[in-house]
Amino acid sequence: MIKDITLGQYFPGASPIHKLDPRTKVLLTILYIVSLFVIRGGWGYFVSAAMMFVIIALSRIPFGVVLRGIKPILFVLLFTATFNLIYGTGTPIFEDVSWLGWLTWNGLRNAVFMAVRIILLVIGTSFMTYTTSPIMLTGAMESLLAPLKWVKVPVHELSMMMTIALRFIPTLVDETDKIISAQKARGADFETGNIFRRAKALVPILIPLIISAFRRAEELADAMECRCYHGGNDRTRYKVFHFAARDALAALVMTGQLALIIFLNVVT
Amino acid sequence: MEIIRTENLTHRYGIGTPFEKTALDGVNISVREGEYVGVIGQTGSGKSTLISHLNAILKPTEGKVFVDGADLWSENKARRIETRFKVGLVFQYPEYQLFEETVYKDIAFGPKNMKLDEAEIDRRVRESLRFVGMGEDCLDKSPFDLSGGQKRRIAIAGVMALEPKVLILDEPAAGLDPKGRDEILSRIRDYHKETGSTVLLVSHSMEDIANNADSIIVMEGGRVRMHETVDAVFERADELIAMGLDIPQITKVFIDLREKGYDVRTDIYTIETAKREILSKLTGGASRD
Ligand SMILES: Nc1ncnc2c1ncn2[C@@H]1O[C@H](COP(=O)(O)OP(=O)(O)O)[C@@H](O)[C@H]1O
Ligand SMILES: [Mg+2]
Repeated sequence: MIKDITLGQYFPGASPIHKLDPRTKVLLTILYIVSLFVIRGGWGYFVSAAMMFVIIALSRIPFGVVLRGIKPILFVLLFTATFNLIYGTGTPIFEDVSWLGWLTWNGLRNAVFMAVRIILLVIGTSFMTYTTSPIMLTGAMESLLAPLKWVKVPVHELSMMMTIALRFIPTLVDETDKIISAQKARGADFETGNIFRRAKALVPILIPLIISAFRRAEELADAMECRCYHGGNDRTRYKVFHFAARDALAALVMTGQLALIIFLNVVT
Repeated sequence: MEIIRTENLTHRYGIGTPFEKTALDGVNISVREGEYVGVIGQTGSGKSTLISHLNAILKPTEGKVFVDGADLWSENKARRIETRFKVGLVFQYPEYQLFEETVYKDIAFGPKNMKLDEAEIDRRVRESLRFVGMGEDCLDKSPFDLSGGQKRRIAIAGVMALEPKVLILDEPAAGLDPKGRDEILSRIRDYHKETGSTVLLVSHSMEDIANNADSIIVMEGGRVRMHETVDAVFERADELIAMGLDIPQITKVFIDLREKGYDVRTDIYTIETAKREILSKLTGGASRD
């Protein structure tokens, strides 16, 4: 069902990864992504993958969940790998089988590396959301983007909007599931017919969904107004972020990883 | 004749995630054709999960569901979808599933999916509108212009229009004022009497069920704790209270009378039987001790 989407989902926990300052996690995730694009050879991927395994183990998030996160991109993965495989140049793998001439060592290498890179990219970014609640995440964004306030970017308001949007994703997913079930119970069919019929079949889902989103938005706006909410400069946070020793340690490890990758690039 | 049966029905949500939850645990029920069954249990006891299996919206993790003798999940998909017309399911807060421009079109959505002809659809729309007690003047209105209680009745009519053999309603009275609640419940009772179809009514309130049902299924923690006639269930009123279920006011009165030393029955749940019990005690000369 629609609930199987794990991207952007948060798994509450008390692991060392969960406890990191959310700002650290945002910055280090960016650093990890950068390091993925710096890699040139197999050893670099090995280091990156090993790093990811350590993070997974530390976070105590079941491996099955991590694997399920890859499922939605399986198609992109196969597509990219196939293209890299076909358009490889250099020595063919089977030099004496003429119809397999397009299959080269170089193409195979590129295909595997590209697949690994995409997988690590997806796991790396989803790990930030697996281990950080949406509220913490937007708090981190607000804090990191605070300097932009000087050029009149409404950072607080933007992060509030993002918090609300993130907060309502699970609610709307739930709601969608319920509406789908209710229309199925009246014999609605979403799975057969051509593309136009299927698009039309979505109407009984989308209309109730949009109406309920508007209703929720109005209720939320009223509730915020009743509590005298206003954005602006003088708001203090209920939960104040503090960098701790573990954040320094994490930053050190991640930087070390990048250094090691660059070093491997140079020596090989 | 038996119309619905489950065998060792078990359902787990979120298998393989940290949120895995067994919502149903080895449920065996059997419902006879034409019966009016109340399903009661606290919030989270698995009532909604159970009924969503009866028209193949949810797939059992373990166990089997039989409708009209046929095992739902051993049949092909088309046959399984047919059972959705045989077992009509009204979800909780059904007013949030309305989507058409007019009340008429919304009620006609189900019959249209059944590929019935126009005349038959028209007949069904008007008939089910009558069952929920709404006038035909609302047929051309937008469903979004109606009141909450009216919207709900239209949504219920939308499922009645399938003319299912079994009508299942999940908390149809939730969130309505007492008048709206009585109205809906008596409409459902009339529908049951007039069509002779099987009705399953889910509620967490005994008061909703006691006056209407033939038998009651009591659920707790994903299991069926009792499945008996209404009288038999009320004889075990103390167990219901221990489960945190609220029993009808009138039953409470008689339990209190019993505790105060009066020799009265405690399996009383309607005003009518209460009256008879009191009168019989008075004329029979019952006294303290
Ligand atoms: N879609 C779902 N995903 C995960 N857990 C669920 C879902 N629906 C219900 N549950 C859980 O299953 C249990 C039974 O829920 P439900 O069948 O809705 O009970 P009831 O209708 O009696 O209130 C509850 O503990 C609930 O939290
Ligand atoms: Mg429920």
